[in-house]
Amino acid sequence: MNDVYVIGVGMTPFRRAAREDLAGLGRIAALEALRDAGLTPAAIGGGYFANVLGPQLTGEVTAGQFVLASIGVRRVPIVNVENACSSGSTALWLAVNGIRAGEFDVALVLGAEKMSVPGLGLLRGGSEELETQLGMVMPASFALRAARYLHEFEVTPAALAQVAVKNRRHAALNPLAQFREPVTLAQVLDSPLIADPITRLQCCPTADGAAAAVLASGRVARADRRAVRVDAAVLCTGSYQNPTDLVRWETDRRGSRMAYERAGIGPEDLDVVECHDAFTIAEVLHTEALGLCGPGEGARLAVEGATALGGRIPVNVSGGLLSRGHPLGATGCAQLIEIVQQLRGAGGARQVEGARVGLAQCMGGDQSGDAKSCTVFVASR
Amino acid sequence: MTAELPPFVPGVFQAGASGPVLLGSRCGSCQQHFFPACELCPDCLSATSTAELGAHGRIYSHTVVRTKPPLGLPAPYAVGYVDLDDCGLRVFALLDPALVGRLQIGLPVRLAVAPLGTDQHGQPCLRPYFTAEPA
Ligand SMILES: [Zn+2]
Repeated sequence: MNDVYVIGVGMTPFRRAAREDLAGLGRIAALEALRDAGLTPAAIGGGYFANVLGPQLTGEVTAGQFVLASIGVRRVPIVNVENACSSGSTALWLAVNGIRAGEFDVALVLGAEKMSVPGLGLLRGGSEELETQLGMVMPASFALRAARYLHEFEVTPAALAQVAVKNRRHAALNPLAQFREPVTLAQVLDSPLIADPITRLQCCPTADGAAAAVLASGRVARADRRAVRVDAAVLCTGSYQNPTDLVRWETDRRGSRMAYERAGIGPEDLDVVECHDAFTIAEVLHTEALGLCGPGEGARLAVEGATALGGRIPVNVSGGLLSRGHPLGATGCAQLIEIVQQLRGAGGARQVEGARVGLAQCMGGDQSGDAKSCTVFVASR
Repeated sequence: MTAELPPFVPGVFQAGASGPVLLGSRCGSCQQHFFPACELCPDCLSATSTAELGAHGRIYSHTVVRTKPPLGLPAPYAVGYVDLDDCGLRVFALLDPALVGRLQIGLPVRLAVAPLGTDQHGQPCLRPYFTAEPA
């Protein structure tokens, strides 16, 4: 089986109301990744395009072929990928497996989303599902986890809110992040309640943006001194078991365990983590599922600074979904890009000193109190 | 007059001897219960049949949604997970909007059905929700 490396990355700023359309955003990120890899389009053996809302908003399908053709990637297999918030990381997973299988040596993975459109409401898992007909909306699904978490572990809402303060502080150091103005704990807690106990500043914003990565086999990557190796790429799906434990997320734990096994490491070996902090409670639950701390201890990590830049295990130094922004299809790629930059030592003002092993975790979709999709990547230099 | 309104979707609740009961499925082979209802048991792929899941339980978690409500629901509205007494399932459900401010994990609740919000065609409809057991 081929080893797989990341040899090029590129992304646009994440922000509201970007000038560019979906294809324009995608082009910027993909070209930057190609140039970063030092390759021309002819070197690309396969392309993956992750996007969630395009077909629904514009009626356009197979956008991936259109975008990639415009930067010269033609003739090769190109796949359009949708897995909700984990679309970008699912596209990466497909590319890793394509290279491992020997189908091609170099793949271009592009995630892009244009969400600044009139009338975009709260996202739902699917209008045909019963939960949706009973009033389930995305913030509620995480608020229900938060309410249970506060109850079981006697944690205060302020401890949860600290995650938003921390990730905003990180985003101030990321020129591509959507929200860079620091916020205080009081501001987070006093922002309007969305779904108790989650306030507005504890929910990730919508954004426009694109992120791309060039992945290559060891054969191609050998000469690249900046190459970052992918040690594990895991994609799994919810079990939808009932009763489900909303604060000990089985799917999250299963995905993490598989990633550690495949990479041959444990949580203690990690230097830097990006996780799917769509809401403050989400980061708390993921840090626990990843084994960075025990059950009920995740909120304390943010309060005590363990997950802040300079702490024991920095989490979401990019600003995370909460502050870097969350253009659905791009997020999974942006997370891996952050890990790659950190492992290259190119993290700039938010560089984690001496980072050698990183992990990116993402989730997408919601059904029966479970995630429809969970990805975990481990990478190292 | 509420009896004239259609349910929000068919097959989720029915009238029982002492009030409405929630409907789901039961596997003919392994006897597991499911909610929402499913045609095939996901474990043994046997056909399921409709099963009464009961009307009583306790709140496992709850939240009050304060964004613009979907489906013509009141603002704010409450949802939660309820642990059902009879079958052991933990089901996602609407909670009585009148309970906002009094919701508590562990609160004993029972199923009610009343006009609540609109259906997919924007028409008024009946929805099931859990409300506090009488003291
Ligand atoms: Zn069965």
